[in-house]
Amino acid sequence: MRKIRELVYSADINRFRLYSQVVAFGLLMYGGYLAIDLGANLPTFACAFVGDGRGGTCYLYPLQHQLNMPLAQFIGGRGVAFLTGLITFVLFFMLFNKAWCGFACPLGTIQDWTTKLRSRLGIRYSAYSERTFHGLIKIKYVLLVLLILLSLGMSNAVPGIGKLSEDFMTPYCMICPGRTVLPLFNGDIKQLVVDFSSKTKLTLTALGMAVTGTFFVGAFAKKRFFCLFCPMSALQYIFSKAGLLRLIKDGSKCTKCGNCSRVCDMGIREIADDVVSKNILQDDCMMCFKCVAACPEEKCLDVRFLGLPVFSSTEQGFFKRMEGKVKDEN
Amino acid sequence: MKIERVERIKKTTAVHLAMEAKEALKKITEDFPDNPDTMGYFYSLLHKFYIQGEMPNDCSEVIGTMCIQVPEELIYASGARPVRICSGSYVYDQTGAEFMHAKSCSLVKATLGMLNIKNMPFKDSLSAIVVATTCDQKKKAASMLEDIGYKTYVLEMPSIKDSEEARVYWQSSVKNFAAALEDMSGNRITKKGLSEAVMKANRARAEFRRFNNLRKGAHNLIYGKDAFVVANGYFFDKIEHWTDALAKLNAELEQREAKGVCVANKHAPRILFTGSPAIFPNLKLPLLIEQSGGVIVADEMCSSSRLLYDPISFDEGNLYDMIPAVADRYLKPCTCPCFVKNDDRKRKLKEMAKEFGVDGVVYQAFSGCNPYEMEHKAIAKMLETEGVPMLYIETDYSPEDTGQLSTRVEAFMESIKNRKRSKLQRGIS
Repeated sequence: MRKIRELVYSADINRFRLYSQVVAFGLLMYGGYLAIDLGANLPTFACAFVGDGRGGTCYLYPLQHQLNMPLAQFIGGRGVAFLTGLITFVLFFMLFNKAWCGFACPLGTIQDWTTKLRSRLGIRYSAYSERTFHGLIKIKYVLLVLLILLSLGMSNAVPGIGKLSEDFMTPYCMICPGRTVLPLFNGDIKQLVVDFSSKTKLTLTALGMAVTGTFFVGAFAKKRFFCLFCPMSALQYIFSKAGLLRLIKDGSKCTKCGNCSRVCDMGIREIADDVVSKNILQDDCMMCFKCVAACPEEKCLDVRFLGLPVFSSTEQGFFKRMEGKVKDEN
Repeated sequence: MKIERVERIKKTTAVHLAMEAKEALKKITEDFPDNPDTMGYFYSLLHKFYIQGEMPNDCSEVIGTMCIQVPEELIYASGARPVRICSGSYVYDQTGAEFMHAKSCSLVKATLGMLNIKNMPFKDSLSAIVVATTCDQKKKAASMLEDIGYKTYVLEMPSIKDSEEARVYWQSSVKNFAAALEDMSGNRITKKGLSEAVMKANRARAEFRRFNNLRKGAHNLIYGKDAFVVANGYFFDKIEHWTDALAKLNAELEQREAKGVCVANKHAPRILFTGSPAIFPNLKLPLLIEQSGGVIVADEMCSSSRLLYDPISFDEGNLYDMIPAVADRYLKPCTCPCFVKNDDRKRKLKEMAKEFGVDGVVYQAFSGCNPYEMEHKAIAKMLETEGVPMLYIETDYSPEDTGQLSTRVEAFMESIKNRKRSKLQRGIS
């Protein structure tokens, strides 16, 4: 048992994650061809616009549809459907917590590939200053609130404005890079258009195209650029304290060396600077566990599933991974 | 006339240094039983450097470093060898006293005294000295070195390490240093060169951690004075050789552990040594502790554990990521008391006391070393709440206070032994 644990803790988690991302990408993008359907409440960007090839559907899509109903109907059959959807989403989410982002999300995977390309080209990455970072992380909550309010606004009249036009259908999807980018992997370029049929649609789809461009440029310059603004991540974080998979920190072992924070694709500083919190999972964490792999202190960072050890920082693992890394580079 | 006098001083200090080193080495090797065989390499290193006055292993270019915040990896990557020039010699302390004020700390006095006489084994290959802006005395030493005639590079360091601004400032400072090294050596720092240097230094640190882990066990496998000798060798030895020799020592200690061989009985007080650095030949206080029956099982000092503990981790193998990674390693985990806020040192000592099963802490402060003197109250308070007794000793390089110190150290060891005994009896009844 100890041998197995040693082997796992010394493993190259980044490589494991790469494989897992490829498998998840295949499953979510092409699983439908093998009659795989994981349902419509997935806590990750399995985009509904991908067509029949997809192996499941992102929860934000049904959520926006379900919210598009008169408030009175929430107590009733449709309300039950909404609740079932939400509960299914939460259960799926609790299973892997934010690791859905780090290990499965197709949009995340595409950003990681972009990062790999940049690094191969030897082009420097950019990063946010601490203050900018803390300002930007609020945007995703604004997007989440907008997503909810706009969806509700189509069926419920707002005093002074009235009901919103049905052109606001699935407002977030209209600007999400998932809708424009992911179908491309099934050879579908139909989403790469600006819809001139109405003012609302024109605005939303034009915005969508702009976001798509920014998505690629941003991901090339900054690791996991888009994730900082992702409303799915905002929705997830509300439930992440209940996740079964946890990232635990033993602050007494921390030397604040900052290795964890520097390798963090999201640029989270608290992982290094906070020596008090036990449950160290932060707002923008995607549970890629690069921090755990970069920590040289024995059991300082610990990944646990239902309290059982899954992966942990060890001296031995750290030095082995660094040797491997330098060998790869040269 | 003047040249003659300088030559004469050079000769006499060389003789005095050899005598001082010989005496210290004799104490280290002969006053204690059961020195590990593989310690021979490290003893001979000191012998060669301090007594014969020669560099172990030839090297073409040496960059002298003052303070542990000077990034070694960059120096290796530029093709030079870093040599830590902080001196522990009383002879040089005296030659330094000739031109420095009386309240300077022994370490800075000795280092400048040594550099003023220019008698070091690496004097011919020394191309520059790098001084990090740590404590006031080191800062002022930088301009004095320039006056003596050394090429001196001042590595700008913030006095706060927690803020974002400090980190950014330090990273750009280290980047400038890398560029300066390229200018000095005429070699470019490449991605391959730097990643190999990182690996070389990481290997040394991995081996040092293995060594420290062996000292954590209840069996006292090795004396602390030997650990200080090992760390001291790192100052000037070729790093690969040093790492190999330490690996051999570790292997021998593992054998000792398997066989149950130990240097002191398991009731011996286990001491954590912290404060001003113990640099050969000035191992006065550590030797007194171990001669009085204690065993130094761990240390928190810039001449040993603080120098050799933290490894580097980078994310992308390009210079734009590796240089900041190297920079971070030398600032963020550093527990030097020159920083404004230094809670990390308290946390480190607390954790070490627990991990190494420490019975007491000995805090050495060199007279004149303000940062360590000022920080000792806070450390003492923290240790008191943890229930770990601490002995605070203010001293310098001169042997004059040895008698008085030995009384205090012995009393401290006795009190710890009594504590241990009564704890044991309470445990039985």
